[in-house]
Amino acid sequence: MYFSDLGFISLLLAAGFATYTILIAIIGAVRGSSALVSSAKRGAVAVTGFLVLASTCLVISFLIHDFGVNYVAQQSNLSMPWYFTAAAFYGGQQGSLLYWAMMLSIFSAIFIFTSRRAPAALVPYVTATLMAIELFFVLMLVTVSNPFARLPFVPPDGVGLNPLLMDPGMLVHPPMLLMGFMSFSVPYAFAVAAMVTGKLDSGWLRSIRRWTLAAWTIQTVGLILGAWWAYHVLGWGGYWGWDPVENSALLPWLTATAFLHSTMVQERRGMLKVWNLSLVIVSFALSIFGTFEVRSGLISSVHSFAYSAIGGFFLAFLAIIVLFSLGLFFFRLPKLRPEQEFDSVLSREASFLLNNFLLIGAAFAILWGTLFPLISQAVSHQELTVGPPFYNQVTGPIFLVLILAMGIGPLLAWRRTSSRSLLRNMGIPALAAALCAAILPLAGIRNPLANVAFAVSAFTGGAILYEIWRGVRVRHKHGEMYLVALFTLVNRYRQRYGGYIVHLGFVLLAIGIIGSHFFQLQTDATLKPGQEMNIAGYKLVYFGNIDEHYPDVEVITAQVQVWQDGQLLRYIYPGRQFFTHFDNEPASLIPIDTYGLTDMYVFLDNWNGPSQATIRVFINPLVPLLWIGGVFMLFGGIICWWPDRRRKPRRVAVGAGEDVERGEGASAALVPPTEQTPTDGANNAGEATDEPDKTAEEAIL
Amino acid sequence: MKKYRYLHLFIAVLAILGAIWSYVLLTNPAQETLDQRVQDIGSQLRCLVCQGESVADSPSQFSQQARMIIREQLQEGKSEQQIIQFFQARYGDRILWLPPKQGFALVAWLIPGAILLGGLVLLFFVLRNWQRSAAIAIAQPTISTKETSEIDDADFAEYRAQLEQELAADDPIFARRKKEAS
Repeated sequence: MYFSDLGFISLLLAAGFATYTILIAIIGAVRGSSALVSSAKRGAVAVTGFLVLASTCLVISFLIHDFGVNYVAQQSNLSMPWYFTAAAFYGGQQGSLLYWAMMLSIFSAIFIFTSRRAPAALVPYVTATLMAIELFFVLMLVTVSNPFARLPFVPPDGVGLNPLLMDPGMLVHPPMLLMGFMSFSVPYAFAVAAMVTGKLDSGWLRSIRRWTLAAWTIQTVGLILGAWWAYHVLGWGGYWGWDPVENSALLPWLTATAFLHSTMVQERRGMLKVWNLSLVIVSFALSIFGTFEVRSGLISSVHSFAYSAIGGFFLAFLAIIVLFSLGLFFFRLPKLRPEQEFDSVLSREASFLLNNFLLIGAAFAILWGTLFPLISQAVSHQELTVGPPFYNQVTGPIFLVLILAMGIGPLLAWRRTSSRSLLRNMGIPALAAALCAAILPLAGIRNPLANVAFAVSAFTGGAILYEIWRGVRVRHKHGEMYLVALFTLVNRYRQRYGGYIVHLGFVLLAIGIIGSHFFQLQTDATLKPGQEMNIAGYKLVYFGNIDEHYPDVEVITAQVQVWQDGQLLRYIYPGRQFFTHFDNEPASLIPIDTYGLTDMYVFLDNWNGPSQATIRVFINPLVPLLWIGGVFMLFGGIICWWPDRRRKPRRVAVGAGEDVERGEGASAALVPPTEQTPTDGANNAGEATDEPDKTAEEAIL
Repeated sequence: MKKYRYLHLFIAVLAILGAIWSYVLLTNPAQETLDQRVQDIGSQLRCLVCQGESVADSPSQFSQQARMIIREQLQEGKSEQQIIQFFQARYGDRILWLPPKQGFALVAWLIPGAILLGGLVLLFFVLRNWQRSAAIAIAQPTISTKETSEIDDADFAEYRAQLEQELAADDPIFARRKKEAS
C-alpha cells in the first residue's frame, strides 16, 4: 500500500460522498426536511476531508520521492529543494486539477460553516451545485487525469519541474490564480440556488456579493502575481503579454468587476437583476474556460506546460453549464422584474451602467482576440495571430474611458445629480488633471497619448483623494483627529471606502502601465570584457562570464558594473540556469534594480565562452507602481469584504425582500453553536441596547 | 454671470494647455532613435519559434537575426511598411503580430468595434427608455437636504448633509450628537 493508493481511495470516496450530498441536499430542500439538509452539509464536509486527504497523499508522495507514481516522476526529481518538490503538487495538469478540487471543497466547507449568514432556503441548492462542480472534477481525477496513476516500474529519479516554474513566483502565483478561477464557483452556486428557489432578495445579494468579492480579490492577487512572475522570469522586460492564458484569467475578473458594480444598483434600487444573474453565470463559465485553457494547450501560450486529452471533457462541462444556466434563467425570467424606476441619466445608476458596458466591452474584445486565431483557422484556413498590439489598440481606449468614469462616478449621487453640484465637485480633480497636462510636457514627456492618459489618471486619482479628504474633513470638524477620522470613515463605510482604495490602486496600476508602455527604453550590445554600454544616463561595464557547475544545474552569469555620473552604483550578475533534463530551456536570472520609480532590468541574451556576452538592458519607468497598486487593490478588496456586523438596510427607498430572512431563524438554529465566532456574539450583544431591530436582523443573518 | 464661471474657467485652462502643447511640440519635434525604431517594428512581428513573444521581446536566435535585419534595412533607409512587407513576403501572414486590415482578418478588427458601437446604442436606448417611463410614473421630489446650522463651507454642504444622513442612519453616537445640536 502506497500513499498514492490511499489518495486514490480518498478520491473515490469523495466522489461517492459528493453524489450523496447532491441527491440528499435536493431531496431535503424539496421535502423541506432540515434533517436531510444537515446530513447533506455533513456530506459536503466529508468530501472536503477526503479531498484534503488525497492532496496530502500526493504531497507526501512528492516529499518521499515515490517515483513509482507517474505524476511525481514527471514533475519532480531528487535534486529539487523540498519547497519546489512540494509545490510540484500543482505543477502539472493532474495535480492542478486536484488542487482546484481541493480548494473548491475547502470553500464549500467554509460556506457550510458560515451558512447561517446565507438565506436558509438557498443553502441546500448552493451545496448541491458546489458538489456537482466538485463531482465533475473528482470524476476527471479518477478517470482521465489521475495524479495517482502508478508506473509499472520505479524509475531511480524523476524528470523534474519545468525550469520556468523553478522560481519563488511558482510558490504563489499558480495556486492563487487557480484558487481565483475556482472561487467563482460559489457565486455561481448562489445564482443557481436563487434561480431554482426564485429568491433573489437582498439576503441573497449580500451573500453572493461577499463571495464574489472574495473571488475577485483572489483573482486580482493572482493576476498581479502572474504579472510579477512574468516580469521576473521571462526576460522580455514586460509583465503582461496578452497571452491567451493571461487573457482567460483576466476575463472572469472583468465580468466579476462588472458584477460587483452592478449589484450596487440592485442593492440600492432593485434594478438589473437579470443582468446581474447573467454576469455571475458568465463569470463562472469564463473561469471554467480559463481553467480549461490553462490546462489543455488549446491555444499556444507560454503557460502550456501540460497538453492532454481533457479538453473534450472540459468543453462538454462548459456546454452543460451554459445550457443548464440558460434553461434555469428563462424559467425564472418572469420573476425578475425591476422594483424601481430609473430617474436620471446623470445618476450613479447610469454611471454603473456605463462601467458595465465598458468592462463587458473590454472582456468581449479580449475574448474575441483570444479566439480569433481558432476562428480564422476554421473559417479561412489562414494562420493568423493576434498579438499584444491588437489588444493595446482595442482595449487601451476602453480602459482610459473606464478610468475617467471611475473618477466621475463616485461624484454622482443616486437617482439624480444636479449638474451644478457635479461641476463643483469636479473642480479640484479637473485642476489636478490640468496641472498634470501642463507640467508633464514641460518636463519633457511629449507623447500626446501618454499625456492624455496621465491627465485622466490624475483626474481620477484627484477625485478619489478629494472624496476621502472631504469625508475626513467633515469628521474632523466633529472633533476627530485627522488620522482617527480617516480610520473611522473607512471602518464605518467599508464598502465605499474599500472601493475607493481599490480604485486608487487601479489608478496607480494604470499609471505604471502607461509609463512602462510608452516610455520603456531598451538596448542590447555584444560586449567583450572592459567594454561598456550606455542607456538613459547609466553606464554598464562588462567583466566576463562566470560558469558554475552544481550537481543538477549549471549557472552562467555575466559580471556587470552599473555606473551613473562617474559613480559605481553596484555589481549585477544577469545569468542563465541550465537544469539537467531541460538543457534547451534555460531559466533566467534577471537583476532588476529599482532607482526611484524606474526599474533597470538586465537580461543575459547570449554568451560565448568566458569573455563575450550579449546583454539587453531595459529601462522600465513606473513599473514599481504596478506592485504598489496591486497591494492597494488587495487591501481595498479585503476592506470591502471584511464582515460588517452592523449592516443597515441599504435601500434608498422601500423595497420588497427584506422580510424574507425573518422566517428563517429556525433553520439558522440548525447550525451548531460552535460555528458562531465569539466576537460576533459579543459585539451583537453589546450593540443590542442601541439598536435592537438591526441586531436582531443581524443575528439571523 | 456666475452660471458661466465654470465655462470661462474651463476655456481658460484649455487655452493655457493648448499654448503649452503647441510650444512643446513645435520646439521639439519627436525624434526616435534607431533602437526605438527597431523596437517598434520588432514588436509588430511575431517570433516564429517562440510561444507568444514578439521579435522585439524574444531572446531567441530567430528574433536576434530578425532584429539585425530590421536594423540593417532601417540604415539602408527603408520605411517601416517596406520592412514589414519584406518579412511578410518571406514568412507569410503568420509572422504578423497584428491581423492585417484586409481580407478575412479585417473581421478581427471590425467585430469588437461593431459590438462596442452596438452596446453603446443599446445603452442609449435602455437609458432613454428608463428615463421616459420614470418621467411618466412619478415626478418625485428629491429628499430635501436638511441644512444644519454648523455648516460654514458652502462647498461641503451637500457632502456633509449626505454624510450626516448616513451617519444618523447607522451610528447611534452621531444620531445623538445631532439631536443635541438641534
